[in-house]
Amino acid sequence: MVAAGLAFAFIALPLIGLLSEVAWSRLWHDLTTTEAAAALRLSLVCSLAAAALAFALGVPLAWVLARFEFPGRAAVRALTLLPMVLPPVVGGVGLLYAFGRTGFVGARLDEWFGIHLTFSTAGVILAETFVALPFLVITVEAAFRGLDRDLEDAAATLGASRRTVMRRVTLPVAGPAIAAGVALAWARALGEFGATITFAGNIQGRTRTVPLAVYLFLQSDPEVAIALSLVLVAVSVGVLTALRGRWLVR
Amino acid sequence: MTRRRAAGVAAVFILAALGAACSSASTSTAQSGTDSRGLGGSLTVSTASSLGPAFQEVLVQFTDDNPQASVELNVASSTALALQIEQGAQADVFASADTAAMDVLARGGHLHGASEPFARNRMTIVTKPGNPLRIRSVEDLQRADVVAECVETAPCGRYAARVLTRADVTIDEGTVTRELDAAATLGAVTNGDADAAIVYVTDARAANAKVTRVPISAENNVEAVYPIAVVAGTSERRLATAFVTFVQSPAGQAILARFGFLPAQ
Repeated sequence: MVAAGLAFAFIALPLIGLLSEVAWSRLWHDLTTTEAAAALRLSLVCSLAAAALAFALGVPLAWVLARFEFPGRAAVRALTLLPMVLPPVVGGVGLLYAFGRTGFVGARLDEWFGIHLTFSTAGVILAETFVALPFLVITVEAAFRGLDRDLEDAAATLGASRRTVMRRVTLPVAGPAIAAGVALAWARALGEFGATITFAGNIQGRTRTVPLAVYLFLQSDPEVAIALSLVLVAVSVGVLTALRGRWLVR
Repeated sequence: MTRRRAAGVAAVFILAALGAACSSASTSTAQSGTDSRGLGGSLTVSTASSLGPAFQEVLVQFTDDNPQASVELNVASSTALALQIEQGAQADVFASADTAAMDVLARGGHLHGASEPFARNRMTIVTKPGNPLRIRSVEDLQRADVVAECVETAPCGRYAARVLTRADVTIDEGTVTRELDAAATLGAVTNGDADAAIVYVTDARAANAKVTRVPISAENNVEAVYPIAVVAGTSERRLATAFVTFVQSPAGQAILARFGFLPAQ
């Protein structure tokens, strides 16, 4: 009982600490300073793009993992989930050596298309997708596995093509899980720090997302750092509340 | 049941072992003090990022002279270190890359005695090896896609800003990546894809062939002064003072000179 109370306090106290430092009357002013607003705008754009990318790439991967037996599937799944536990800064270093200007993919991109991902907004989206993708895959794969195959079989018996089954039966039934996966991926992307600063740097308006701005402002203007932190806390609470039916009650 | 008892016995043994370890640790601290082999005790030295490699060497020599002492470096931006000390973080000695960070602590009464300058440094431009963009001056940095600078709150960021002001050059903030300390700023060029950076001469020297150095003219350059002090909250005042003295001694200064630092004068 005591240990349980301690565990809860351990999680609650930093939040209380943060809330007690918020300058409520100046909150709006702090969040609308040029620098803070730029970071908020950039974070919104990048995290939504990362969530969309995670959706576009993650749903097919989840489907393959859930539905196909192939050698090495366990290894593929393990590798897919790696960014969940990998220190993000290590992910950033990996991205740098793959997609950096001299990395084995990045060098081709530079040579063929003149695309530079490092120090670019696209680089931020890439880093955020890297850390967020597993959250979507793991959620959606579980849903695909738990799906009643009879529904799909029935639709197929009634003459629906595989594509129609996918579009009209599989995806709608798995819909809530996919939405939850996207929400989780979005929240994770929004909070990304380590991979972003390592791979995309810290350029105002280009790659300085909210978490980077929080870290930066902590040294120059803590009040703004706290205001921005509050936004991240609010979003996290919002996502958890939205997923309440899935996680909190059960 | 037997398994649970075995676990209980194991726990007792572990606790006993921990107790023994703790008490032996406290005995060795109790013995700290002068004997023929120097001072004992353990020190945490909050070290400016640009001093990291040199102080690693200082640490080795200092612990050679005082084999019973153990020294740990806490390396970060001086501003971050000063903040940590203000918040009560464990630190016995603070070696800062500029006087501003040190003054914050002095004003707050966080220092034991006054700080003393022990080294100087200068700034330089570094570019990718071979200088593909042909950057020759501070002004040329405006042509780079991405320039790495320290955050404005870190000493290296303040020095870089002063260089730009002296040269009357403004770089579009939309092309500047702000790194958290001197080491990370250099890293943006050596490991990352930044075209150029404004860094300490000592860091640029250490990077060797991984960068090309482009000197900043004397009239645009600045002088970085490094002060060192014993932190007021230390429980190892004698050892901390001995460390500061060692840094200022000919042996300590020789190490710093080897890493390219200029004497304090």
